[in-house]
Formats: sequence, structure tokens, C-alpha cells
Amino acid sequence: MSRIGVFVCHCGENISRTVDVERVAAEVGTMPGVAFATDYKYMCSDPGQGLLKKAIQEQKLSHIVVAACSPRMHEKTFRKAAESAGLNPFLCEIANIREHCSWVHENREEATAKAVEIVGMMVERVKKNRVLPTITVPVTKRSLVIGGGIAGIQAALDIADAGHDVVLVEREPSIGGHMAQLSETFPTLDCSQCIMTPKMVDVVNHPKIKLYTYAEVEHVEGYIGNFQITIRKKARSVDEDKCTGCGLCMEKCPVRKIPNQFDCNLGLRPAIYVPFPQAVPNTPVIDREHCIKFKTGKCGLCQKICGPGAVDYEQEDTLIIEPVGAIVVATGFDLYSITEKPKGSSIKGYGEFGHGKIPDVIDGMTFERLASASGPTGGKILRPSDGQEPKQIVFIQCVGSRAREKGISYCSKICCMYTAKHTMLYKHKVHDGQAYVFFMDARVPGKSYDEFWRRAIEDEEAVYIRGMVSRLYQKGNKIVVMGSDISVGVQVEIEADMVVLATAVQPRTGADSLAQKLGISYDHYHFYSEAHAKLRPVECATAGIYLAGTCQGPKDIPDTVSQASAAAAKVMTLFAKDKLEREPIVAKVKEAGCVACFYCKKVCPYGAVEEKEIRDRQGNLIKVVAYVNPGVCGGCGTCQATCPSKSVELDGYTDEQIVAMIEAL
Amino acid sequence: MTHAIDTSIYSAVTDAIRGEAQRILSEGQVSAVVGYAAARRKGSAQPIVINQADDAAKLIFTPACVNNLAVYLTKAKKEIPKTGKIGIVVKGCDLKALVGLMGESQLKRENLYLIGIPCAGVLASTIQPDKELTHDSIASKCRECDVHLPTGCDFLPSQQPGTPELEKRYAAEIARLETMTPAERWKYWKEQFSKCIKCYACRQVCPFCFCEQCLCDRNKPQMVETTPRPAGNFAWHVVRAMHLAGRCAGCAECERVCPMDIPLNLLNRKMAKELKELFEHEAGLEVNEKGPLASFSEKDDQSFIK
Repeated sequence: MSRIGVFVCHCGENISRTVDVERVAAEVGTMPGVAFATDYKYMCSDPGQGLLKKAIQEQKLSHIVVAACSPRMHEKTFRKAAESAGLNPFLCEIANIREHCSWVHENREEATAKAVEIVGMMVERVKKNRVLPTITVPVTKRSLVIGGGIAGIQAALDIADAGHDVVLVEREPSIGGHMAQLSETFPTLDCSQCIMTPKMVDVVNHPKIKLYTYAEVEHVEGYIGNFQITIRKKARSVDEDKCTGCGLCMEKCPVRKIPNQFDCNLGLRPAIYVPFPQAVPNTPVIDREHCIKFKTGKCGLCQKICGPGAVDYEQEDTLIIEPVGAIVVATGFDLYSITEKPKGSSIKGYGEFGHGKIPDVIDGMTFERLASASGPTGGKILRPSDGQEPKQIVFIQCVGSRAREKGISYCSKICCMYTAKHTMLYKHKVHDGQAYVFFMDARVPGKSYDEFWRRAIEDEEAVYIRGMVSRLYQKGNKIVVMGSDISVGVQVEIEADMVVLATAVQPRTGADSLAQKLGISYDHYHFYSEAHAKLRPVECATAGIYLAGTCQGPKDIPDTVSQASAAAAKVMTLFAKDKLEREPIVAKVKEAGCVACFYCKKVCPYGAVEEKEIRDRQGNLIKVVAYVNPGVCGGCGTCQATCPSKSVELDGYTDEQIVAMIEAL
Repeated sequence: MTHAIDTSIYSAVTDAIRGEAQRILSEGQVSAVVGYAAARRKGSAQPIVINQADDAAKLIFTPACVNNLAVYLTKAKKEIPKTGKIGIVVKGCDLKALVGLMGESQLKRENLYLIGIPCAGVLASTIQPDKELTHDSIASKCRECDVHLPTGCDFLPSQQPGTPELEKRYAAEIARLETMTPAERWKYWKEQFSKCIKCYACRQVCPFCFCEQCLCDRNKPQMVETTPRPAGNFAWHVVRAMHLAGRCAGCAECERVCPMDIPLNLLNRKMAKELKELFEHEAGLEVNEKGPLASFSEKDDQSFIK
């Protein structure tokens, strides 16, 4: 006979405001099998837990039900308390009478009746609970970092410096990401390349970091502590081990007029190329789409010229499997494109700014390349159309961002600061030029940020106009910018030589498909979701996966680096233990009923189902059945839902328990 | 006036399968052959398992050879497949069931020797087994058959069956059901299922009902009420339809054996149509390792998520 204890929590007033908790305790106390029922103001508090422990011992309780908030909140707390009082933690269940009841109802009478039913269901369920032993699994102390921008680089270096192996996967031929494209960085105006490249070199030289560039994560299997990552290393057509990085192939390549994406298509590059001179690794890649050898089978100049014989046209994609225990996702962002948006897209473009068809209307990143000493103009600010120095330049803020009617309602966070920086860089390079900025608000919180912005206006003479631009158009070799200045309530018209749009930070195209491979959640923009906005900002809800940088939301470099180090710290915390304790919520096969159709094996996302032979003592095969490896099982219950004969069940969520709950209603 | 369907090739087909069965049994290629033999009543046929080459002369194929023999390789006669490689006589519709069973790890192709039948059709009912096969007496499934000549068999007689164009009754009936309101449809099926006496003949005859312990027989907890009352009947038939979705290829044995004339294959065909429309999946002659209900694709219809 079970002796169930029920503990009804007031949650301060959160529950007791709507639910008559005393009455719930009294009514539940009369249910069959309930030996003890009480209520308390804060069950999760120290005295609350003490009350629970004391009751378990004094009343000799066999099972307990805590009627309180969501099990996501305090299931662990109460199971731990039960365990310390000598009860198996899985004999403790939570009845959620806060999120499922008091918070969503107003009528006290009805809410109380519903709370009684919710608790009654859990009472019936807990009677069917079984003692479950904890499962321990080993931890592979290696980490995968996806993305080799500043976030990935920082996370990889931190984890590697702590002594753990890191596998860093970068999609592009070189690490560096967006930060490598920047000219100078706010708020100190130090050169981005100068602070970035030493870190890039550290990565490639670090004995604990295995770097895969021009590679992508193809497939992810497993769970916290034990992931199996399949990485597709794309055919580079150049053997990384043989190549010395002399660059002769790039000099000799006859195809020279391919727009260089790294320079926002302003400069040109050959078909065999490194994206930028400081690339890491300094190994070129053949752009097979443009290479004559791949298009016509002729040429082959680079192979002839290559001293060490590193050029290999036959190279194919290779798949590499890496076992890791933790994953840091640092895939970064894409910049909102000012070109025309495809029909049917929820994000509308800016026809009023010319859809990117006016050559001297550029985005912020293009301006970065113009201002960069290693950029296509050698750091001179020149118009893309005619190479003239612009004397009047207009910056427009919030293009794409904070425009709900255009499809994006969030603030991209970095544009106020980088536009202020752009006005300064412009003034430093074009002394007689004038910068104008159209802005909605200046969002410049942060250490030394407001001072920086004020400096742009007060010392560097940028003219800030509060108001938005309604339209701009080409007139001769000028661009007429029509806007309003709402602080004085007048229309403004500026004849500019160049216009720079501060475009929104967007998630990477394809961010959703990577999330689906990893099994992590994302918001409707496709930014990855953290487990808790305030208290778990770098962890995913999926255990063992952490977030760093702009893949989670717009961020500047200091925030990105902080988050990357935080993610690395989380990985180190995980790696500090040799074994992980896992909840024993795993599936078990009832072999008598199993007919070996293996639907469970087909649907299992963890690859936990194996085929098992049952033999008699003489070794004759009786039958083949499914077997669930408890170390690998993630406890999702998909097999249970799929099994046609109901021969596999998830411990803690058996059909018996669920039916008992339904029948209690 | 009903038109006769030409079944003159069936005697040549009978000779061909006898010869092939005799050969594979005497050469020891198979340990047994599952086929049809004449039964006691004039014109009737029954399933037979032969393991002697001499018995090959017992095999026949006539319009009364209605059974889907695939069922003899799963639960009904579990010992048969254990005896080694088995020969089996298959009509196109039966072959689809075998292929389905291969995809569900119940059978291995290399353990089977498939003797295909060029089939013009079989009778809807074997109450009068010697009845002539006509546009009226032909089984509804044969009216919409797309596998008169099964493919991928180890042996197929060379005869070509005549296949007149016939009115598609299931398709017409599904179209009629689809024009109904949900309430009308509910009423229709409720009436049909209220006839059920829970004899489970449909379960016994179905090659895909191969579970050793049917979930509908479980009592701890009881998932489906076992007595033939409307609620339990409905639950049983819905479970059955859902479990067959994407697997049933329409051998229509369930409908044939139902003593209460419940249009079971109509429900199965409707489910098959849904699966085709939603997932572009059809149970056919190709082994599917992963059925549509056991796999996820980004293209899957997700409009039900609100």
C-alpha cells in the first residue's frame, strides 16, 4: 500500500491568489493512498524542503507529489530533497498548479477544482512510478566549435588553453569571419586586422586545436558528453599539407576578374585564391565555378607552376567523423542585403533606397572595406562608380532594423556605434568632407560608447539629423537624399556624393537547417534560442550545446568575445567531471511483444536502438528483438509512440502511468 | 448484360507454375512452395504448402485463387519461413504485401523464390467459386489494379492477361465520401463500424498485422475496449486504419473476409490516398526502408501546427 505525501505550495501569492491551497490539501488528503497532505508558503525554500524531508521520515512516505510550479523549474530541487530523505528521486512527481492553473485562471472556485484534479492525476500517476537507478555515462573531453569568426576563435582558444582538444570547423577557406573584414573597431579605433590576426595565428598553431576550414557540419549524432560529428571537408583542390603558401599559383592564374566577396565585390581575385592576404590557413582554394580547368579541362597552369605539387584537381569532398563531448555554435550573422527581396519574402526591401542599384549607395560593410588599409582602395574613401573622393556623405541608420512594416522589428545593436565610427574614419581620411547621419535614436550604452558617439558629433563634426529618409535618387553624379529633421520639423534635402546604409544584422541563411541538425531551437528570425534569456544566456535547451556570438542575436565584438569565453567556461565545467550522471528516463523494450519491425530503430534520433538476438541454451536463435542502449537513449519517447505493438516504453512515462492519469480525471 | 473477362490464360499459367514448382523443389532450390490447390467444392481453391516435387501437380491458378498467401510467411505459419528458402505464388497485389514485409524486417528477399502470376483478376466472392469472371463478379480491387504483371519475380509465366478498362469503385466511393460533411462522414463510419462483431478476421488475414501481441488485446493498461460496443469498435478500426496507413497496398483481404461486410478496404484506400497526397508515398513494388510515418522531411506538410 502506498503512503503518498502531497505538498501544496502557495508560491508566495502566485498560486494561493487564485487557488484555495488549504482546500486542495484537504481534498487531496482524502484520496486513496494519500497518507499526508499539507500546504506551505514556499515549498522550494529551505524550511519548505525541510518540511518535506521531515514528513518523508516521520510519516514513512512511499511516494510524494509536490503541487507547485512547472517541473522545469523545481523538479530537480524536490527530487534532490526526496533523495536526501532516503526516497528514490523518481518516486517524487510535480503537479503543476501554477503555469497550468493559477496563472491562467481567474475564477477561484474553478481554479481550485482544477488544481485538485491536477494533483489527483499526479497521485494516481506516482502510484505507478518505479524506482529508477541513475545512469552514468562517460564524457568525451573534446569540444566542437562551429564557426571561425571572433566568437569561435575565442571559444576555441579558451577551451584549448584549459587543456582540452578542440575541433574548429569553418565554412569559408579562412577563419576570421566578419571581424577580419572590418577596418577599425569602436570605441578605441584600433585596427581590426591588427588585433584579430594574432588570434587567428594562435588558433592554427595551438597544439590542442584541430582546424577544418572550407568544411561544414554534415551530421550530428549523440547527446551531451558523447556527440559524433560528421564533417564534410569540401574539396579545396589544393593539398594543405604540401602547399607552402608561396602564392605563385594566384599570380599566374589567367582568370583574374572574379569579384572578391571578401571586399564586398569591390576588388577582383583570381580563380585560385586566398580570401585575403592574412588568411589562416594561408592555403589557396580553387573556385571550381570559375576555373578554366574545371570548366573546359584546359589550362592547368597552377598545377604546372606549383613547386611542391600541391594542386590536385581530382580532390573530392571528404567526410570526417569526430567524437566530441560539447558543441559551441558560433556561426555568426549575415548582413541585410539592400538588393531587391524575392517575392513572397516576409522581409521587404528598400525600393526607396534604390534596391542597391545605385552604385554609390553602399552598405556599412562595403564602407569598412573602403576604409580598410588592406581593402581594394588601400584605405582611400573612393566612390565605387567613378573612383572620386566623396565630399558629402550621408549615413542612414536602421535600414532593415526596427522596421516592423519591413519585416524586422529588432534593433541590430551595433549600427549606431559603427556609423559614428564611419563618420570619424571618413573625417580622418577626407578632411574637407562633411558627414550627415539620419538616425531615429542613438543607442550607445556601454563602456566609453556614449563618449565615442559624442566625439563623432563634437570633435569630428558629423551632422546628426533626427529623422528618417523617405527617398533617395540619382541626379547626375549626385545622389539626392530626401528626409526630414523631426527635431525642428523641416524637410531636408542633401545632394550627396555617396550614401552608406547601416543595414540590419540577420541570422545566417541556412541557420535553421544547422539548428535542425543539432536539435536546437531558434526564433522566427532564425536566431538561435538560449535556454533562459537571463539565467542561462549561453546554453541551448539541448544539453551540451552552447552559443557564442551573433548566431544568438546582434552583438558587438566585446559582447561576442565575452559570450564566447562564457560558453568556453560552460564547456570546461562539463569537462571537469569524468562521468555525467544522466536521468534514467530511457526506453526499454518488452521483448515478449517485440516483432522486430524496427520502426523504433528507424525513428530513433539518437541511434540508440540496436538489434538483439535471443537464443536458447543450445544457442539456437529464438528471435531477434530491438534493444535500447540506455547510455545513448535521449528519453524522447518517439519509439514508444511509433511501436505498433506497444512493446517499448519510456521509463517514467509508461502507458500505465499516462492511462492512470487519464482515468483519474 | 455483363461482359466476361478473358481468363483463358489461367490454364497455361497453371501449367507454368506447376513446372517451375516441380523444378525448384526437385533441384532443392527451395524447401517448400506456397500456392493454391483445388478445394473440395467445384471450382473452389485453397492455399497449400507443398514440399515434395511430386505435389507440384496439385498447384492451380483460377479466378477463385483469392487469398493473399503472404500471410503464410508471417504470423499464421511462422514455422514455414524457418525451413529455408521458400517459393511462393504471388499475384501483383500479394507481391506488394511481401515487399512491404521486406521493408519491415519481417522477410528477406534472398529467402524467397517468387513465382509471379500474370493475373487478369479474381472473384469478389468465393460463395460461388465456379462463377465466371465478369465485369460484375470481379473483385473491386482488381478493377483498379496496376500490377496485372508483377515485376521483380524470379519466375513469371509469359502469358499476357487481358485487362479491360473498368469503372473504379473505390475511387468513386472515396470521391463520394469526400463530398460529405465531417458529420455525415462520422455518421457513415459509425454505422459501418456498429456492425462489427470483433471477430478479428480482418486482423487474422492481414499480412501486416504480424504483431504477436496486438495492442488491442492488451489489458494493462487496456488501450481498446474488447467487447463489440460502438466505442470499442470505432477505436479498433481507427487503430487498424492508422497502423496500415502507408503500409497497406490493397490486397483487400480484410474486406473479403469480413462477415459483416464493412468496407474496410475503402478506409485503407482513403488512407493510402492521404499518404500519397501528403507525403508522395505509395506502398508499391519497391522496398521502403523508412515509411512516411517513420521519417521526417522538411517538405512535410506542417499546416496542422497552429
